[in-house]
This record gives sequence, structure tokens and C-alpha cells, in this order.
Amino acid sequence: MKPARAIAPYLFLAPALVVFGLAVMVPLVFTVGYSFTEWNGFGSMTFVGLDNYLTALTDPIFRDSFLHVLIYISATLVLEVGVGLGLAGVVSARPGTLWFRVAIFVPVMLPMVVVAILWSFVYNNDFGLINATLGALGLEGLQRVWLGDTSTALLAVSLVSGWVYAGFYMMIFYAAIRQIPSEVLEAARMDGAGEWVLFRRIKVPMIRNAIAIAVLLCVTGGFQGFDLFFVLTNGGPYGATEIPTTYLVKVVFRNGDVGYGSAMAVVLTAIVVGVGLVYARLQRRGQAGVTP
Amino acid sequence: MSETATSGRGGPSTRARRIPALLTAGGLLVVAALFFFPMVWMVLSSFKSNAAIFASPFALPTSIDLGRWVEAWEVGQIGKYALNSAIVTGVSVLLILLLGAAAAFALSRYRFAGRAAILGLFALGLLLPLQSYFIAQSTLFNQLSITDTRLALIIPYTAMGLPLATYLLKVYLDALPEELFDAARIDGAGDFQLFRALALPLLRPGLATVAIFSALACWNEFLLALLYIQDDALKTIPTGLLAFSSRYVTDYALLFSALSIVTLPMIVIYVVFNRQIVEGITAGSLK
Repeated sequence: MKPARAIAPYLFLAPALVVFGLAVMVPLVFTVGYSFTEWNGFGSMTFVGLDNYLTALTDPIFRDSFLHVLIYISATLVLEVGVGLGLAGVVSARPGTLWFRVAIFVPVMLPMVVVAILWSFVYNNDFGLINATLGALGLEGLQRVWLGDTSTALLAVSLVSGWVYAGFYMMIFYAAIRQIPSEVLEAARMDGAGEWVLFRRIKVPMIRNAIAIAVLLCVTGGFQGFDLFFVLTNGGPYGATEIPTTYLVKVVFRNGDVGYGSAMAVVLTAIVVGVGLVYARLQRRGQAGVTP
Repeated sequence: MSETATSGRGGPSTRARRIPALLTAGGLLVVAALFFFPMVWMVLSSFKSNAAIFASPFALPTSIDLGRWVEAWEVGQIGKYALNSAIVTGVSVLLILLLGAAAAFALSRYRFAGRAAILGLFALGLLLPLQSYFIAQSTLFNQLSITDTRLALIIPYTAMGLPLATYLLKVYLDALPEELFDAARIDGAGDFQLFRALALPLLRPGLATVAIFSALACWNEFLLALLYIQDDALKTIPTGLLAFSSRYVTDYALLFSALSIVTLPMIVIYVVFNRQIVEGITAGSLK
């Protein structure tokens, strides 16, 4: 490592800092600034102090949007992290599962918009796969307008997210399990432990760190989710799938309420960054300990 | 999960090893079949007429007529959207690699005033959600009149990709022995030569990883593309396809064809490069 010699390091850093500063940091500061104003994006700007934050506190749509995103996050924790962990347990227990690991990862590659349009057809009332399957099984009673029914829409969107990301979390867990020294697993097998016991008593505890990372990714990613919701329901039916990100885009870009939208954006940012920082602290403690 | 299945034969030690091997394979096959059903259905439906799609969703197409795909390609202007995506993605990824590598080089190889602050800034950048800045970014882009130009996507995509790229490339550079650089320096190499002739070639595996996850992120990005590009001539695949799907909202056969056209090449690329892609994406999200 070289001590400071004149300007070389600053020259290397300048382009990245200029782009990141102008495109992210300056707008970030301005967004915080807007959040204390009433502004429609064009006319005059009025300073209103904390009014927008007080409005957010009492806005039932904003409050419900958090409830929805929390339900969504809980569902995806099960459908993505939970299912991913289970699948990783299975594929790490047997040889010859490469084909499965490759296959289940496919949707991670695809644009969310493509996934969403496809699933809007899967949920379609007239020819969709789900209702058609239920019909073929003689379960017409269970057929629903999945995305148009306030009681099923949110879970229907969550299921699509699970379909995309279960394979992603499986790969993370699989990679972590592969890091476990094989002597540990062999010794347990010698002692007569079956694969289920191996999974519960050795694999899961030893990849605790990877599980923590996965939960963090799923939670912070969930708060930022937008594409699936926008294409599949855009908040509907009757606001049943309105989440902070879709609501905030409507408030800013449809209603032109830049000040209020910015306040919501700041709240959302605080939550995401807050979760991230808590996690970073846990990580540091984890690395200091014995967890691999 | 099939791994818990018990065979009832043999002691507990053989039980877990023997019978479930087949059971596991069978179970995984069922899971994979269910999992791929939507995509298989998509491709099959793309060869059917709208009437046939409605009449019997599960029926196989009567013929494989690629004419529908040609029609979807033309009507959906997918070539145009793909080209836009390729340009925006290509330029953004190049910039991310170049600016990220230079920044990583400075942070890894030099000690200077403000280094810790800049590291902290990029660490914050790893956590920031898009929502923290896109409102003011859009007003800024409006004022600069760059909305509805490719720059409106290239600039934010590059900026969003930089913190992670810099961080990962710095990890790669930190692992290189200092003596390598000392030796080159003694041989008279200047700062820029060290970067170009020594650091960049050694960084190649790291650059490949960064290129993979950055390219996918740019190729698939939707929200900013939706907000900043109204001009249909500049739309990328996600927004172009969405616009197409709302114009032809009931021509399901056409839309299934369009989805297949966009999906299948990506699957082929993925199958060929699956190891690098999986590593790239997981490295890109684990930070």
C-alpha cells in the first residue's frame, strides 16, 4: 500500500465519485429536502416542516401498505428462504442433482416484467393454469379470480416471488453447505445419523451465517419490491396489494405530490438502511466468533 | 420433502442412504416438472390460436408454427427493444467495470486523506434503495432534459452498479501481493501503467463476475426505465414488452410468443454459462 503521493488516487476515484455523487448522493439529499416541503414538481415550493411525516402517520393507505409489505415479506421468507433451505438440504444429500440445481435457478435470470406477464396468464380466470388445473381435478369450488380477489391477491403475488427466488436461496445455501468440512458430515454418518438428522443437527446450524444473510436479503429486498406488484395488480384490487413502493410512485408521478412522496421515500429508506446496519453489526459479531 | 421419507426397511443407518436415493430423484423430478409447467405452457400456448388457448388450456398445439413468433417479433418490435436494452446494458456495464476498477485500485493500493470516508460512502451505496433518490433524480433529469434519452438510464445504472463493483474489485485487488506492484514500480511504471498493465489484467476474473451481475441487473431493470423513458423508440425489453402487452391485451397467442422469444435465448445463455452466471449472481447479492 502506497502512502499518499500527490493526486494519483484522487484521479482514479474521480470518475466514479462524480457519477455516484451526481446520480445518487445529490438526489438523495434533495429527496430528503423535498420531504419537508409541499411541492408539485413544477411550481413554487413551500416549506411545511414535518407535516408530510405527520400525514404519513395518519394516512390509512400508507399504514396498510406497510401491513401488506410485511405480509408479503413473511410469505416470501417461507416461500423463498424456507423452500430454498429445504431444497438445499435435499440436493446436498444426494449426488447427481446438478440438473435440478441448474433448472430451479432459471427464473432468477428473467426480467421480472416477463415473469409477471407470464403469471398474469397463469392466474387468468378464463384459461389460466391454476383454475384449469382445479377444474380438471373437479375442484371448481376452489377456482378464483386469484389476482382480483382481495383475500388471495397478496399471496398470489408472493407465490410468484417464491417461484423466482426459491432457486436463488437454494444455491446460496447449497454453496454454504458445500463449505462444511466433509469429515464432519462423514463422522456423523459413521455414527448412524440419517440425512434428516444431518440436515437438522449439522447442516442448518453450520450455515447459520448464510441463513442470516438470506433473511436480510429477503427482508430488505421485500421492502423494495415493485415490478411484480406493478405489473400484476398495481395495488389492486381495492388497494389489497398496495405496498409502499407502488403507493409512492402513484403519489409522486400520478398525483404530483412530490413532498409527501419524498417523505414516504425517506421513511422507506430509513427502514431498509436500518435493517442493513443491524445486520452488518450481527455479521461483524458472527465473524469474530466461530461461525464459518 | 422426500428426504424425510422413511422406507420401513432396514435399520436407521441404511434407511436414510438407500431407498430415498430413488425417492429423492423422483421427488425432485416432480418438483421440477411443476416448477417448469408455467414456462412449458407458455411455449406450447405460443403455437396455439387464441380460441384454442381458451378452449383447452392443456391441449398440445396442433402444429409448431414459427410464423406466430415471427409475427410477435415484428408486431411487438422486440428487435428494437432488444437493441435498446443491448446498448444501454453494454455502455453501462463498460462504465461500471472501468470506473469501478479505477476506484477499487485507488482504494486498495493507496493511503490518502478521505479514504475512509469514501469507503463509507460506497458501503452506504450498497444499502441504499432506489427509492431513496429516484424522486429528486427524476426532477434533476427533467431539468437537464435528459429524460427520454438513453443517458437517463445509462447514468443511474452505472451509478447504482458502482458501489458493489468497487467493493468486489477491491476485495480482489487486496488479495494481490504488494510485492508485485513494488517490483513494477521499481521498474519505473507510473501510476496509470500500474493500473492498466498490471491491475486490470489480474482483475479479469473479478471483472467477469461484476460484468455478469451488472449486465443482468441492467437488462432486467424496470422501475427507472418506466419513469424515464416514454418514447417508444427508446424503450428497453421490460418496458417495451409491457407496453406491447397493454396494447394487445387480449391477443394471448401473440403475447405468449413474445414472452417465449424473450425467455428462451436467456435460458440458452444461462444453460451454457450456468456456473459463471450462478456464481456471478450470488456473489453480486452476498456483497
